[in-house]
Amino acid sequence: MPNLIYLLLRRLRSPLITLILVYAISMTGYVLIPGENNNLEPYQMSFFDAFYFVSFMGTTIGFGEIPYEFTQNQRYWTLICLYATVISWLYGIGSLLSVFQDPAFRQQTKLNRFKRSVTRIRQPFYLICGYGETGRKLVRDLANDGILSVVLDSDEGPINDLEVNDLSISPLWLKADASDAQVLEIAGVNHSFCQGIISLANDDRVNLTIAIVGQLINNNVRLIARADTKEAESNILSFGANEVINPFETFASRLALALHSPGLHLVTEWTTGPRDKKVDEFSLPVKGTWIICGFGDFGRAAYRYLDEVGEKLCVISADRQGRDVPAGTIIGRPTEAATLKKAGIDNAVGIIAGTGNDPDNLSVLMTAHELNPNLFRIAHQNEDKNKPIFDAAKLDLVMQRGNLIADKIFALLRTPLLGDFLRIIGRFNKERANQLASRMIGVMGSDYPELWEITVSEEEAPALYERLKYSDIFIKDLLRHPDNRDRSVSAMVLFLKRGEGNVILPEDSRKLRRGDRFLMCGNKTANHKMQITIRNASYLEYVLTGMRLPDSWVWRTLMKNKEFSELFNKT
Amino acid sequence: MRTEKVIFAFFIVLALTLNFGFFLGDFSNVAHHNVYELFAAIVVSLIATVLKFGDRTHLGSVFLATSLVADLQLICAAIVWGMNSQGAGATLDEHSLATIISLSGGALLANIISVVLLVAETINLRR
Repeated sequence: MPNLIYLLLRRLRSPLITLILVYAISMTGYVLIPGENNNLEPYQMSFFDAFYFVSFMGTTIGFGEIPYEFTQNQRYWTLICLYATVISWLYGIGSLLSVFQDPAFRQQTKLNRFKRSVTRIRQPFYLICGYGETGRKLVRDLANDGILSVVLDSDEGPINDLEVNDLSISPLWLKADASDAQVLEIAGVNHSFCQGIISLANDDRVNLTIAIVGQLINNNVRLIARADTKEAESNILSFGANEVINPFETFASRLALALHSPGLHLVTEWTTGPRDKKVDEFSLPVKGTWIICGFGDFGRAAYRYLDEVGEKLCVISADRQGRDVPAGTIIGRPTEAATLKKAGIDNAVGIIAGTGNDPDNLSVLMTAHELNPNLFRIAHQNEDKNKPIFDAAKLDLVMQRGNLIADKIFALLRTPLLGDFLRIIGRFNKERANQLASRMIGVMGSDYPELWEITVSEEEAPALYERLKYSDIFIKDLLRHPDNRDRSVSAMVLFLKRGEGNVILPEDSRKLRRGDRFLMCGNKTANHKMQITIRNASYLEYVLTGMRLPDSWVWRTLMKNKEFSELFNKT
Repeated sequence: MRTEKVIFAFFIVLALTLNFGFFLGDFSNVAHHNVYELFAAIVVSLIATVLKFGDRTHLGSVFLATSLVADLQLICAAIVWGMNSQGAGATLDEHSLATIISLSGGALLANIISVVLLVAETINLRR
């Protein structure tokens, strides 16, 4: 704020001095020029009279000639002063307005307002750097979940949409370069309610800078970053990022998973996929040749992962000078039927359109469909606005970068244990993965799965925490229904983190300890019921022993009396 | 030599000298105190204040503060003068004149501090 006032004062220096001088000269003139009163006796205006007259003359209010009608000489002087004061006022007001219009001044105003509202935040929030398609979806998801976000983006464009938004929790935003340490600090990296930094810039270098700056300023904060290349990914990880998400790698690895371990693919999709619809298993073609069109970041990742799981591949690249393309690559435009035929489309089982151009991708897939209607078609959708055409094309699988990252980040924010869980189950063989998937179907039913975390702490599970001080509790007790302990809620424990140790799918007979963190999976009702058990001591007592504790003070006091409680228990 | 500095120093010193000139004289004698001089002192003091705007240094803030004090005292003195000399044939009584002069004396002190600061700043400049 002080900056603003000084900026304003500095700009207004010359109009103010002009105004003071003009007033001083006019007033001196009126005081010196002899006048007459109503009786034609000489009258000299006092300084007060002069100031009063000049004030209303300069502001064009004009009450008339006071205190007495002017003489001719005074009127001459008035004529001069009139124009001088009005012009200097216009000059002053004009300068004031131009200061308000000044981009530097407006940026400063916005910065101040942003800074003030960030310091006033009294609820957990996430700092999101980069407001593109991913950022927009993530902010929306977070707002729907009741979480505030602070958004930074240096580009003109989408971020302006935030000025008018229909989100339930309106995010705070600033158009500024997030890789600037000062900006990050203003945006609340050090704020005690800052839950994490999410870096989603299009440029890997920017993400890297944000990661470095973020970790140096406050290394306690959770950091999730996006990276488009493998080098950037490992680089950002080395600076202490908790999670790095590479959209192309993520999608390609899921594709490979779907081909060689459908169970694992389903578990991954359920846990990190969209929250509004359940992903069903899709039938992938039997083994055969896959055609990859375009060998950019996406094509490359797809090639590497599919090659790893032993698929036969054929790459079509339009780039004649393509470096490090695999052997047998067909050079040509994939949109032409001749090129596709040359790549052996008649015998292929699937085609992946991975060029950087949406119309091209669609055109490839349409042509391919005409040539071979049985093909499994996968498209890379580059821009969010093209969603309707991709939907209309009825493709088997569409990779949408923004949604993919946003969904995964949202899942990781809600349940941070998910990152460790996914890393561990990534090593599962087919049978174990299928077992896990069917157990998950068992608890979640036909709905999409609800994931949540339980931390055995005083704040999050007060009843459980107290109880653990003097008795043993097992996981199977935790899963009992709080209304009928013989039934169990539709939930399962996916993962347990105890200190530094990880337990995947812990058995039912395992004892709970204070400080344990559980990753749970089930449906919404189960989540709600479990919250009741772990927070309410009387429900917990019932779940553990079958005894119902008296709720009210009167009843508790009565039950303390032995005779009464015996009488009551007999009847 | 910079014109900006010359103008700046000119107004600050002029504010002090005018103020001093008005203050000089017998406390109860109206003839020793010229109303035009008071007016000039106020105008120059206001200009000096505006010139001090926008300096973000610590010294700049103190400069501005002294000027604001001088403005306040002088304007108060002018108001007292104006209110006690209005009306037909009213002349300043001794009591109000003493108030005016003591107020301007306060402003004089503020102006002296301002000039001392100016001199200190100039001496501190290493050539």
